[in-house]
Amino acid sequence: MGKNHLGEFEEIVMLTVAILHGEAYGVAIIEEMETRLNRSVSIGSLQVVLKRLEDKGFLKSELGEATSVRGGKRKRFFTVTNVGKDMLRTSKEQRMQLWNAVPDVALEFIGL
Amino acid sequence: MTQSTPSPPKLLLRFFRLYCNPQLVEAIEGDLVERFEIRALKKGQKKAKQLFIKDVIQLFRPGIIRPITGAQKLNKFGMLKNNMVIAKRQLLRHKMYSTIKIGGFAIGIAVCLLITLFIKNELSYDKHIPGHENLYRVVNNYNMEGNIIRFTWFAPPFAQAIQDDFPEVTLAGRTNEGNNFGAGKNNIRIEGDMQNHYEGDFIYADQQILDLFQFKMVYGNLEEALAQPNTLVMTRKKAEKLFPGENPVGRTVYINDNTDRPYKIGGVLEDLPSTGFFQFDFLWTLTGREFWNGEQASWESQNYQVYVRLNPGTDIEALNPRLSEIGTKYILPVEKRNGNPNAEEEMKNMSFSLEPVTDIYLKSQDISDPYQKSDIKYIWIFGVIAAFILGLACINFINLSTAKSANRAKEVGLRKTIGSQKSHLITQFLTESILYSLLSFIIAIGIASVVLPYFNQLAGKALTLPWSELWFIPTMFFSSVLIGVVAGLYPAFYLSSFRPAAVLKGKLSMGSKSSKLRNALVVFQFTASIVLIIGTFVVYQQMEYILNAQTGFNKEQVIQLRNTQVIGDQPDNFKNELLKTPEISSVTISDYLPISGTARNGNMWWKDGRTKVDAGSSGQNWEIDYDYLKTLGMNLLQGRNFDREMRTDTSAIIINEKMAEALGIQDNPIGAKITNRSSNRVVWTVIGLVEDFNFDLLTAPVRPLAMRLGNAPSTTSILVNTQDMAATIGDIQKVWEEMAPNQPFIYEFMDQNFAQMYVGVERIRNILTSFAMLAIIIACLGLFGLSVFMVEQRSKEISVRLVLGAKVTQVVSMLSFNFMKPIFLALILATPIAWYMMNEWLNDFEYKISMNIQLFVFAGISALLIALITISFQSLKAAFTSPVQGLRNE
Repeated sequence: MGKNHLGEFEEIVMLTVAILHGEAYGVAIIEEMETRLNRSVSIGSLQVVLKRLEDKGFLKSELGEATSVRGGKRKRFFTVTNVGKDMLRTSKEQRMQLWNAVPDVALEFIGL
Repeated sequence: MTQSTPSPPKLLLRFFRLYCNPQLVEAIEGDLVERFEIRALKKGQKKAKQLFIKDVIQLFRPGIIRPITGAQKLNKFGMLKNNMVIAKRQLLRHKMYSTIKIGGFAIGIAVCLLITLFIKNELSYDKHIPGHENLYRVVNNYNMEGNIIRFTWFAPPFAQAIQDDFPEVTLAGRTNEGNNFGAGKNNIRIEGDMQNHYEGDFIYADQQILDLFQFKMVYGNLEEALAQPNTLVMTRKKAEKLFPGENPVGRTVYINDNTDRPYKIGGVLEDLPSTGFFQFDFLWTLTGREFWNGEQASWESQNYQVYVRLNPGTDIEALNPRLSEIGTKYILPVEKRNGNPNAEEEMKNMSFSLEPVTDIYLKSQDISDPYQKSDIKYIWIFGVIAAFILGLACINFINLSTAKSANRAKEVGLRKTIGSQKSHLITQFLTESILYSLLSFIIAIGIASVVLPYFNQLAGKALTLPWSELWFIPTMFFSSVLIGVVAGLYPAFYLSSFRPAAVLKGKLSMGSKSSKLRNALVVFQFTASIVLIIGTFVVYQQMEYILNAQTGFNKEQVIQLRNTQVIGDQPDNFKNELLKTPEISSVTISDYLPISGTARNGNMWWKDGRTKVDAGSSGQNWEIDYDYLKTLGMNLLQGRNFDREMRTDTSAIIINEKMAEALGIQDNPIGAKITNRSSNRVVWTVIGLVEDFNFDLLTAPVRPLAMRLGNAPSTTSILVNTQDMAATIGDIQKVWEEMAPNQPFIYEFMDQNFAQMYVGVERIRNILTSFAMLAIIIACLGLFGLSVFMVEQRSKEISVRLVLGAKVTQVVSMLSFNFMKPIFLALILATPIAWYMMNEWLNDFEYKISMNIQLFVFAGISALLIALITISFQSLKAAFTSPVQGLRNE
């Protein structure tokens, strides 16, 4: 996987982080994904992807304030970096290109 | 949140913190707790806990677990690297100490490795037999006035009886290994070939023996190889020698040129593993074989070994007592019919038991059987010696490490000041000792592989380093780490406990703090060494004693020709031809010789008229010729030898002193009438009393013996009187080739055959000597290291003494005396231990040296001398070094 490629789960995570816009931390991301996509996500798999995206430079994170809930642990908030935004946009454009190239018949056939 | 806030399982959370990457831990832990709280509200605590466990387990994955790389690990690795660098510097800076430490260790480990291989080999005996768990042999335990005599000779029908009468016994088979019946070495000749081959180890066996032992076959069918009369099987190496490159099954051979009884080859067995008690080259079938008329049905002779296979899961303890039913059912009626008045009594004294075949090699020293055996005792002795030698090497390591501690004290102090914790220092010192140990192991394996051929020779084995076996390399690696830790633990704790303030102020008494321990360890080392030295001396003297003992017969200058029955019916002619050579002074032809491994038999003897009244005394019944006593130099105390002129000498007999005693005729033996038959009255008249001579190992007392005229022609003994042995043997060979064309000429020297009897004892002597020397070398290495250190420590003191006018001798004696004290102590400790141990060993011998004070004095002086020489190197060096050098730094 090159640096210019996003995996499916990676893309969803980045989009979710973008949706939450400033409120994106572990549990929030999971809940958002679970409600929107009806897809169960474990903390483990999410954390691994978050870390990887951060290493690639698509996400950045900072620790928030300590709160009384969560056993007093601080939240780590994620935001999409500019590189990440570019990446998402490129990804979207690529998809759109592909969508546009699909002849209508092909999709009608499978009932879309 | 309220107080009733449910909390996630603490233990799991702790586990998570333990493995989680510290950079991630806070945020993820928060997430975990938050999720748990949400779920607890929504789905209840129990479900939340379950899901929590799942979460934690799912988090245990690369990327979240503490990273292998990264700052944390780098630091630890860096310390390890640093520890290695320090260890390497220490090793190179103090080359001599390192050499002593590593060298001593390597020797110790090499010895342990060899001994381990040896023990492993000994313990593996007969484990290769398929189904050995259910394979047993029968042992006869005869209670003779309180002494249990155990042997494995049984009557011909015994095997069938045990199989018929006990359902637990699924199969029983016999072997016959008696020289009297032709087992042992024989000439073998292939049909259509002229040349005879003299080949070893023929044994008679039932077809069932093949079924019991499940030998691997090269040619032929295991189930029927010995099933037909007059068949034989041989091992692969003999088949390849006699029938190179062909399948010999079905071929005909003649044994000892006996064309009346040709043998068909029924099969070829794969060569027997050397780790088996049962060793042979040829098996003759017992099928259809009868050694005399009615022999196979007779319960009166005992010549067969009986092996049985039991049903798996048979209770041996319950079966053993029931075996004596065979005695009451079969043997008792026969004895009664023969009119033995004590039959009932004798039967009560006889009992049978089953012994696993895997116990034969190591655990049946008290059982009389025809096999070469070892002794579990020696496994223990060697194991202890190996542990001791390794212990000595470890002691050197500990001693030198703590002795040199003064030099490391400043380093320790400094490290602690900078912030090292005790555990770091312990890790550092252990790293060092493990490194030393690893190096020693590599060298040890080198030493072992070089020494292995010599060790094999010494131990009579064919051991190899088991490189190809899976356990070997990991075991070696882990043992080296383990030994490194064991040897390094004390120095590590000792060194790491220095208090930085005291050390840096220079208050530490330089390494002398643990001198008490060091001295104790030196005492221990030398005690062990001196015990070994004394042991070696005793074993050596005992061996010399036995080999040169007055055996009561002449074994020097006697040449023995084997297989001389091929001469046939002209033995007198052969003798006369030989006697034409002036160097040959006497010739006798006989099977029975005072060398173990030659023919033996047993009879019951009575004074004539006492049969059916007395129980009788058992004794040998040998057939000899007119020249036997003269040739073998036996001493006739009373009476006369057999005489060719006396026709009545066919019923004359010569007995030894023990026989005379046993029959109660010691006062007036000549002319006494004795008999060895309880039924047919064959009476012998004693015409001579011969002085007791040893015909068994000197570990046993002489037994009663009677000798009569007979024809037992397997061996010709020739007494020669010559300076040129080679020429005389050439003369003998010429006669042989004339009389026995195409027969191999095989000669041996009787004194060598005699020495051969003690090969086992001699082996132990050699191994013990080597170990004793090694122990001494290792102990001396340590002592040498310590003396170097002491002299270094006291170099200033010595210099001052020299400057102020002390004599060299004073300095040397001062330094030496200090070191000799622990060795004196060791000598005092070692003496009683060695005395006790060697007494135990000597008790095995009927004829033995008495342990004397000189022996101990001699061993003690040797130990002291060796130690003194070791020390004086350094003492002298110190005394002769110019004092300027010692004081230069002041």
